[in-house]
Parts: sequence; C-alpha cells; structure tokens
Amino acid sequence: MPRAIWSGSISFGLVNIPIKLFSAVSKKTVRFNQIDSQTGARVKQKRVSALDGSDVDYDDIVKGYELPSGEYVTITQEELDALDPDAVRTIDILEFIDLDEIDPMYYDSAYHLVPDPTTVKPYKLLAEAMAAANKVAIARFVMRTKQYLAAIRPQDGTLVLSTMVYADELVARSEIDEFDALEDVKIEKKELAMAEQLIASLDADFDSGRHVDTYREAVLELIDRKVAGETDLVASAPEETENKVVDLMAALEASVAQAKDAKKRHPASKKASGKASAAAKKKPAKKKSA
Amino acid sequence: MVERQTVEIGGRKLSISNLDKVLYPVVGFTKAQVIDYYVRIAPYMLPHLEGRALTMRRWPNGVNETSFFEKRSPTHRPDWISTVIGPERSPSAGAKPDKKPIEYTMIDEIAGLAWTANLAAIELHTPMSLGIDADTPTMVVFDLDPGSPATIIECCQVALEIREVLDALSLEAFAKTSGSKGMQLYVPLNSPHTQATASSFAHAVAQLLQKQLPKLVVSQMTKSVRKGKVFIDWSQNSRHKTTITPYSMRAKDRPTVSTPLTWDEVAEGANGEPLTFETAEVLERVEEYGDLFEPTQTLVQQLPSPQ
Repeated sequence: MPRAIWSGSISFGLVNIPIKLFSAVSKKTVRFNQIDSQTGARVKQKRVSALDGSDVDYDDIVKGYELPSGEYVTITQEELDALDPDAVRTIDILEFIDLDEIDPMYYDSAYHLVPDPTTVKPYKLLAEAMAAANKVAIARFVMRTKQYLAAIRPQDGTLVLSTMVYADELVARSEIDEFDALEDVKIEKKELAMAEQLIASLDADFDSGRHVDTYREAVLELIDRKVAGETDLVASAPEETENKVVDLMAALEASVAQAKDAKKRHPASKKASGKASAAAKKKPAKKKSA
Repeated sequence: MVERQTVEIGGRKLSISNLDKVLYPVVGFTKAQVIDYYVRIAPYMLPHLEGRALTMRRWPNGVNETSFFEKRSPTHRPDWISTVIGPERSPSAGAKPDKKPIEYTMIDEIAGLAWTANLAAIELHTPMSLGIDADTPTMVVFDLDPGSPATIIECCQVALEIREVLDALSLEAFAKTSGSKGMQLYVPLNSPHTQATASSFAHAVAQLLQKQLPKLVVSQMTKSVRKGKVFIDWSQNSRHKTTITPYSMRAKDRPTVSTPLTWDEVAEGANGEPLTFETAEVLERVEEYGDLFEPTQTLVQQLPSPQ
C-alpha cells in the first residue's frame, strides 16, 4: 500500500487545494544485502562518533554545514522549515504552458497528487479545466530542504506532478568530447534513405507494458537457480585465466583451425557444390607455415 | 571455445576475446584472422603508425553492422599502450580554450597492433602530422576519390598525371590503393612545412589538372560535379583530417587492404589491371617488395615556396 511522502496544498490565485504527494514510481531494481563472505552474517552499518567511536542515536543526528575554519554550524529540520513556512506547505503554480514546450530531459521523478477526501471538488475542477485547455502547470515547492521546479499534468481525471531539474543542472552537450567524432561523419543521401526505411520498419505505438527490465529478470532467475541448488554459477573470474598465458600465434592458429573444422562439417552452401574436399585442401596451403 | 584468454605477444601480456567471431560474414573471415594479419604485417606497418595519433574505426559486430570512430584512447587500454595529444582542437576551430585536448592512442609495437585488432578496430586512420608536432605535416596527401561510374582505373590515370606535375618540381610521390574504391598519393616532406602550405599546394595541383583534364578531374567537394570523374581531395591535408594508414584493412565484403603500389602497377592499373589486394596477397607482397612506403617516413623534400 503506497504511502504519502509529503502533504500540503496546491495554491494558485486565491484557490487552495489540499493534496498529498504519492510517489508514482516504485523502482524494481533487485536489492542486494551486504553479507560477510566468511561467516554469512549480514553486514551492519553503525553510526559512530568520530570523537570516541561511541554509537550515535539516530535521533541525536542533526545536519552540520562545514565552515572554512573547519568548524560546523548545526541546523535542525525545524529551522529549515521555518525559513519559508509558506513554501514548505504549498505547491505554487507559477504559470500554465503547453506540454511540448518541456524537453523530456528536464523531468526527474514522478508523483501522484492525491486530493484530501474533504475537498475533492476543487481538485477535480482543476484537473478537468487543465485537460480541457490542454495545459500543464509549472509550479514551485519545497521538499526535504530543496526547492523544486515541477510540472503538473492532468492525466485521466487526476493530476500528476513531475519534479524537474533546473537548466543549470543539465549537462551541456559541449562538455562531452565524444560528440566531436560526429563532426567528421559524412552521410550519403542513400544511407539516410536506408536508415529512414529501417526506422519506418520498426515504427510502432508506444506500449510501455511491453518493455521489461530483462537484466532484473536475469538476476532473479540466477537467484532462483542458486536457491534450487545449482552451485557453479559464478562466471570464472578474469584472474583465474590470467595464470595460463599462451602464445598469441598459437591461440590464433587454434581458432582458425577450429573454424576450418566447422566449415568441413557444414560447408557453406555456396562453396559446397561439388568439391568440398578440394576447397578444404586449397585453403591451408598458403600462409600457414610462416 | 575460449571466450577470453590471456596471450603473450612481443613480450607483452594481452587479454583477447571472441577469436572465432566472424567479422567478414561474406567470406567467413574471423577476428582471429584479422589479428593474425595485423601481427604479420606489423614489421611493415608500424613505422607508419609510430608517433601518430591513431583514430580507430571499430566494427565490434562485423563489417555489416554499425561501426564507430574512436579518437580518445580508451581508458581500459593496457598500461603499456602510449598516447599522444591529437590534432583535434585547433584554436581556430572555435573550441573552448580550456577544453582538454584529446589523448589519442599511439601504436609503436607489435602487441599494440594485436590489441587494436582485438578491439575489432579493422580500419586504422592517421593524420599527416606526428603527435609531437601536430602543426607540421610530414607529407602531403592527394586523396583520389572516383565518382561513379569512374573507378580505380581513372584514379590511376590521374595519379600518373599528378606524378608528371610532381616530377617537373623534382618531387617524388608514392601511391597506394585506399583498399576501398580509390587511391592515395603521398609526397614525403619530413621537413618544416605548415598544413596551410601542404593544403594549398595540393589544391593548386588539383586545380591545374582540372584545367588540363576537365573531363577526368574535379577539385571541388560538391558531389554533383564529381560524377564519372576523379575528385582530388586536397583538403585531406588539414590538421584534423586523417587518412587510411598504409596496410590498414578495410571493412568491405572481403578483407581488402590499403596497399602500397609500384608505379609500374599504377600504369598497369590505368589500363584496367585489377588493383584490389586482400590480406593474404599483401603479406606475400611485402615478402617480395618490402615496404614500398618506407621512403614516406624518411625522404626529405621541399615544396616549392609560394610566390
């Protein structure tokens, strides 16, 4: 059962709509615990004081901001909340814009905006008016000491909120040197036409349910197999093979010989017609001995 | 079948993988055969790589699949692979001055060639200059690119014409196939020249030949005017451009090689003698001829000074 992670109200003009924020995403990455490989025991993290190594109670922990002098100013959550008491409890709608004005790169996390049971009407009114106008609200609010920019969109009669990164948090393309390689590439008309054809052949409507995290499934399957008692599942570590160093030319010859063997067993359809043995004989003669 | 193994070559240890992978599906040429070629050609090819910033073009899934250029030397390189600061980022190109210059791979030993081959870097491209002095080209290149239906036959005819012009200036030139459709002529300099000089010299020769042989030669990049003619690409002499290195394989249907030629062969090529060489033939040729391009690294010549 999902739980609210923030509560407050949407505020625009004179209207105030109490809401709660529910995370719209529950990440399904496989979670691992840390285990001591010697004993099999769980590894625990302890918060200890740098002063004498004694345990520090979670309730006793406050935030500290380091000063140039090396001293710390400590700040409590209450003090942070008191900075901007209005912002802390409200999602301020700044403006309404068209959805396609926002580059998807700006979106960060998605949340459901859930109305308070006593004030569902203004919520529904806002959702439907925004849907009718086909608009998205840009809003600002504070959550956990950070001020967020957010986009609020109507979706099937409810509202969803996506936090957004600030423009100065996006990494500029010019900071990534690897893009420079594109400058030298010449593209022929024919190549472009072929690529477009390929794209057209994969044209589909987006069905998010079709795309699943195959890596996660592979990890879960590995865990299942381990539970079922298959033991030798760990891929041999590179350190092991490091020990047996062979001469490169010997490795190459082994590989080439193997390829020829395979060819003899399954002669390629083109060359197979007639004299498979002659073809096989012709190949190795020339440069093998060098 | 061994997926990944550690091998020894030229006194270095090297991890190689997927030897049996077919990189040229039409002829079933495997990665093992690519590495084998590069190791055997190394004594002849290394002088043309040494000291130069290498641009690798890699086909990890074979020549029919996508490829990518790799200029920045991969961080996973063995610690014995050296690097040089590359020709990219001339201040005039508008790059931010505080931007880090690109560290390119530099290959100067046989194990290095085995390493790049293992990365499926089928094509190796190098600039005309050395890494220590990216502003000084050690040679001039004439890149002869035939516009269909012209072929390497027309390229050879143009190469002979260029050679006559160079002869008149007492300059010696060396010809190789590109391993693809065209060919290149290198004029060794190995003396102080700038890219601007090299480039304008090549441009002038190209324009001269276009004037003399308007039906055969074109000196402009514009695709539409190149049909049936040989484009003398003089712009390959600019600082950031690279050209296929002598003895590099090409990612074609068959394992062809950018092959140094004798001038007799160029003359025969102008008469229609086929000039496509694959790895096995090239290995036989170097046994017979040695490195026909050896003078490109040593011969000292001067371009005529501009009026």
